[in-house]
Amino acid sequence: MDIDIDDILRDVDPTLHSVPQEKRDLQDLTRAWVAERSAPELLHWPPGGLFERINNNIKRQIERVEDMTGDMDPKTNFSLIVIQTELERFKYLVRSYLRARIAKIDRHTLHYLSTDALRARLSEMELAYATRHQALLHNHYLSSFLSSFPPALQSLNDTAGQITMIDTPDLDSAVFIRLLKDSLVRGRGVDDDVSDTYDEGDILIIRWSDAKTLVAIGDAELV
Amino acid sequence: MALPLPPGLTQAEVAFVAEMELVTIVPRQRFESIHLLGGKTPALRPPHRAELPLWLALLLKKQRRANIVCPPWLYPASLATVIHRETKEDPAAFSPPPPTPSRAHLSAPGLARRVAEHDAGMSAPFVPSCTADAPAGYLPYHWLEVAEALLAHAGDDMPVAAGEIRSLLRDLVEVRAAKMRSSAATLEGLGGGLTLLRGVGSMELAESRGFVLEVVDGVRKIGASLEANRREVEEMRGEGGDDEGSDDDMGL
Repeated sequence: MDIDIDDILRDVDPTLHSVPQEKRDLQDLTRAWVAERSAPELLHWPPGGLFERINNNIKRQIERVEDMTGDMDPKTNFSLIVIQTELERFKYLVRSYLRARIAKIDRHTLHYLSTDALRARLSEMELAYATRHQALLHNHYLSSFLSSFPPALQSLNDTAGQITMIDTPDLDSAVFIRLLKDSLVRGRGVDDDVSDTYDEGDILIIRWSDAKTLVAIGDAELV
Repeated sequence: MALPLPPGLTQAEVAFVAEMELVTIVPRQRFESIHLLGGKTPALRPPHRAELPLWLALLLKKQRRANIVCPPWLYPASLATVIHRETKEDPAAFSPPPPTPSRAHLSAPGLARRVAEHDAGMSAPFVPSCTADAPAGYLPYHWLEVAEALLAHAGDDMPVAAGEIRSLLRDLVEVRAAKMRSSAATLEGLGGGLTLLRGVGSMELAESRGFVLEVVDGVRKIGASLEANRREVEEMRGEGGDDEGSDDDMGL
């Protein structure tokens, strides 16, 4: 039997209510968007079907709006305005999130396609887009100038001579993070490395490479 | 198609996020609950208060369907407290952020525990910090944006003339902007890898993000070889074991 302690507590104590799924999704979407807008590299596609769920909800809401515009009852008119306003806000978040990701994929396409671990960060659609885009680009380069180069100089992902042609994002860029719980933070600096405990809610300037694990396990978020 | 903006939220985007903050309203009309994408809105029954996201509250306010309750931290007395703290008590730091929301347990009064929503990893703007029961004397993360929105669209719901609050806010903005600028001095000698900005607001971050992060990155790039040397030395010391460590101390 698999009984969650939270479920039992919730039965006993109604004040310990859980956050409704919709609100949690909005929090997760907002957090993913802010993180994607701030992080120097592409982050993982959100797990747990978050995006699919939100997209379905948006689709359903659009259908509802279409139904409601059918009956021209002045009373539902204002609810309709509210629903549409919210719908636009959601669509803006989704669109901005996807565009921020595409911008990163475009900038470092070869980098994100280079290893399986990096490929796993992309969604299926993004992977298809990146592969196709890169293929088109390569063909275009080939037909316009690469083909006149000697064969040894034609590749775009040469890593010979310890200098790689693949441009990578700067993972040591500084970011702002906020701690979601009291935690031990390690930060590397020029003169000194620091490791100290900070409180929940504290905002820190830190290198992304040092913040990465904290953000990944959910102890901190990018702001 | 790709987003042409630099990393980090712009001011407009910060204002967008701040519009998701919950505020307390007093409805003037009955209004049934609507099923929104972000969850159901509470059914509005005047004169019972309800908590709604700021964007919806402003929409209702513009249509004269509701009044917004001024959050306690936006009262002049509270702002004056914060200004006093920022200028006199601790002129170097930002005033601390509001304490994590907690609520006394029904069966054990006196023992406050964290609000469940907070435990579940929620953060601004989804933790209520601009509602009628937010604590006074603290500035929430989105203080400037929420205050501006409320003053601009719900000035008549404020306890005193909007002008008075606005001048206090302006003082606060200036005091804190000076701190943000002087934090650049500590950034310059960013020996350590961490800089703490406890209590800073979202809009303040957005305004100085470009400058601050650029300085940190610049210092890192200039000091890259220095840092690499230091790491090499430390690594060698680490290999040498503990005996070596005491020799080094004597050498100093």
